[in-house]
Amino acid sequence: MSDTKNNHTQDDSHHITGYAEHFGTYVSLIMLTFMTVFISVFGADLNTLTVATAMFIASVKVLIVAYYFMHLKYDPKVYRVMILLVMAMFVIFLIMLMFDYLTR
Amino acid sequence: MEHSFSLPNSGHNYDAKASKLGMWLFLYTEILLFGGLFMVYMVYRALNPDAFLIASFNLNVWMGTINTVVLLTSSMTVAMSITAIQKGNSKLSLILLAATVLAAVIFLVIKYFEWGAKIEHGFWPGMDHFINLPFGEQLYFYLYFFMTGLHGLHVVVGMIFILIVMKKIKNGSQNKDKNQLLENSGLYWHLVDLIWIYLFPLFYLIH
Amino acid sequence: MTETSASQPNYLNVTKGLFSWIFTLDHKRIGLLYLYTVGSFFLVGVVLGVIMRLELFNPGGDIIEAQTYNQVFTLHGVIMVFLFIIPSIPAIFGNFFLPIMLGTDDVAFPRINLMSWWLYVIGALFALGTLVFGDGPADTGWTFYAPYSVKTGTNVSMTVLAAFVLGFSSILTGLNFIVTIHRLRAPGMGFNDMPLFSWALYATSWIQLLATPIIGITLLMIIAERVLGIGLFDPSIGGDPILYQHLFWIYSHPAVYIMALPAMGIVSEIIPTFSQRTIFGYKAIAYSSLGIAFVGYFVWGHHMFTSGMSGPSAWVFSLLTFFVAIPTSIKVFNWLATLYKGSINIEVPLLYVLAFIFNFLIGGLTGLVVGALAADVHLHDTYFVVGHFHYVMFGGTGFAFIGGLHYWFPKMWGKMYNKAVAQLAFIIIFIGFNILYFPMLILGLMGMPRRYYDYLPEFHTLNQVSTVGSWIMVTGLIIMLVNLFIAHKRGKKASDNPWNGITLEWQTKSPPPLYNFDKMPELVKGGPYNYPNAKNS
Repeated sequence: MSDTKNNHTQDDSHHITGYAEHFGTYVSLIMLTFMTVFISVFGADLNTLTVATAMFIASVKVLIVAYYFMHLKYDPKVYRVMILLVMAMFVIFLIMLMFDYLTR
Repeated sequence: MEHSFSLPNSGHNYDAKASKLGMWLFLYTEILLFGGLFMVYMVYRALNPDAFLIASFNLNVWMGTINTVVLLTSSMTVAMSITAIQKGNSKLSLILLAATVLAAVIFLVIKYFEWGAKIEHGFWPGMDHFINLPFGEQLYFYLYFFMTGLHGLHVVVGMIFILIVMKKIKNGSQNKDKNQLLENSGLYWHLVDLIWIYLFPLFYLIH
Repeated sequence: MTETSASQPNYLNVTKGLFSWIFTLDHKRIGLLYLYTVGSFFLVGVVLGVIMRLELFNPGGDIIEAQTYNQVFTLHGVIMVFLFIIPSIPAIFGNFFLPIMLGTDDVAFPRINLMSWWLYVIGALFALGTLVFGDGPADTGWTFYAPYSVKTGTNVSMTVLAAFVLGFSSILTGLNFIVTIHRLRAPGMGFNDMPLFSWALYATSWIQLLATPIIGITLLMIIAERVLGIGLFDPSIGGDPILYQHLFWIYSHPAVYIMALPAMGIVSEIIPTFSQRTIFGYKAIAYSSLGIAFVGYFVWGHHMFTSGMSGPSAWVFSLLTFFVAIPTSIKVFNWLATLYKGSINIEVPLLYVLAFIFNFLIGGLTGLVVGALAADVHLHDTYFVVGHFHYVMFGGTGFAFIGGLHYWFPKMWGKMYNKAVAQLAFIIIFIGFNILYFPMLILGLMGMPRRYYDYLPEFHTLNQVSTVGSWIMVTGLIIMLVNLFIAHKRGKKASDNPWNGITLEWQTKSPPPLYNFDKMPELVKGGPYNYPNAKNS
């Protein structure tokens, strides 16, 4: 669990991300952006698959921003656990909500 | 008020980790706030897939793409500004933050032109062209204006947050040893970017 | 002011004047600020309830018109839910005692704490503003269902704005408590050494944090539709009013756990103290709070069974609803096991706790009845539901609140109330409460709809019984409040630990000093309730 100020657990939050690493993250994000635009503009007419692909790529981008720019990779594990739980909760809301409309 | 005894775990001591945790908790609330709108989007798109597709042709993919690149760039600059201050380079940190603010302004200007074009063509709720749209398309535009509007509001707030932090770097209260507020403003900024990362494909890239 | 010994400065007398209170950063004073404001609104809510019961004494319109009746029950709901129950225990007792129980001197963010209270005040002013501005207070019910909430001329926008601001207050309190619990515990106090009230507040805070934004955005959507014409729930263009209900209840169901969990936390504090032994199954109670919070996020559809949602979906929600009863009953069994063979001290706080268990049992079981799909088809929107939720919210949380008030009163003000009068008040309140609400369960089964100012003749007698119950209960409440008020002004000085409690708040002075402790508090070894001479299991 998260420590109080008086007990120090191992964590890498003193880690300083270098400029080069940030730039590398940025480049991968730009590439993913162009990939998703490309697929949408020039890709096939697969309605549901397009949504799924677009959402998948967007989620990868979000993960990259969260892990690297927002430092989650180097933060104490509890931060990754918390965001995972929050996103899981939200996804379950989406599923349960959609279930109503799909089964009407 | 003087008091002779002070607890080791006093709540009055500065605690960067508490500040960081507090910021992340606040970000969760923002995620759920926008989450509600994403839920509405999901339902109405599922019920009106064709209308949403047609309505999306009214948006300019390239303007959306540019805005996406602008925000991603600003995320990089704010992340780098934290690197800079942690390495003791407050001056570079300020330059990078200024770049971030500039990117925010560019984003808002592009948004202004996008919205302006819509309103000019009568696409605002209540206007001529709007009320004659098929229902699904009306719902699309309701969501478009609400979600990008709320997002734009958060861009403004994020910008103000960063400007405040810039002032603190200038006067030295944010520095190499004490920079959690800068980090927090960065976290908030990244959230603004994250929301846009989902908004972009959902409104601009439906095809 | 208070009459503690002159040489002892405490949080009450350390500074004086209005500004030192309304701009305070002291969590204890903020707790009291909440007590006075939340308490005032509770009384307003009670008056509105009494008016409703007076109107319902006889069928037909008597003292108010139909439209006014709609506004009265709406305001009653809005005040009781958003201005009383949701903030009450966390903002009053949580603010006052969480830091002390954790052995620290304040919450993590004292200024945000003050801001929470100011947001509460602003939200309350907006709610009151609806009495004055526009076309009168909302008449939609506290649930603001679309499309009526969009169409009606009454002042829905301001009411809903009030709820939005109050929600923000709630979110910030939750955020503050989570960080406080994570970062400010006394050295050596792990999560599993915290008192159970802290665990309850922890689980509650996560709900406040994660669920409230959803109603925030939903209410913004209502305002957007009313003010800007952004018709997201407009059925004439394909919008779905049921979607509004989904979004509304995704918050408002977890909200009832915001109401219930802190109350159960208080029960978990009072029972060990008045049994003078450790709680049975500490971990089970602690983790069941998390379990209730977690499962509680996914049952919201049971408020909407008859709305037009799909059958399979309703079935899923009903199933999940039954699961949430499990962690709740675990708590009840553990409380009873703690009392068994304990050295029982029948004092007023324990009386309220025993009443809690009785009332919450009825409330919880009736909840399962309406949670069952087939039964709910008949009982939805009847007085059965009204009886159910008053049993849990008032008979449960309300009673726990009053019990907590009587438990911590001597600590907060350093004085003791007249116990005989308090006991008398309890008996009157308990009897009045049950006479008021039990008939509602029967009326509902007989088919009387809720939110109606008129009813069929066959419902007459039970309505009269219920109204008389309301008079008895209010009498008891008045006696209880006057007793405490007099004690707060002129009560006998109380010792620092009148109940022989063992959690950290009983180790410090009554009233506590400004920074809570004058010396390092000593943690109890082996668990927060480990009474040294008890037959602990």
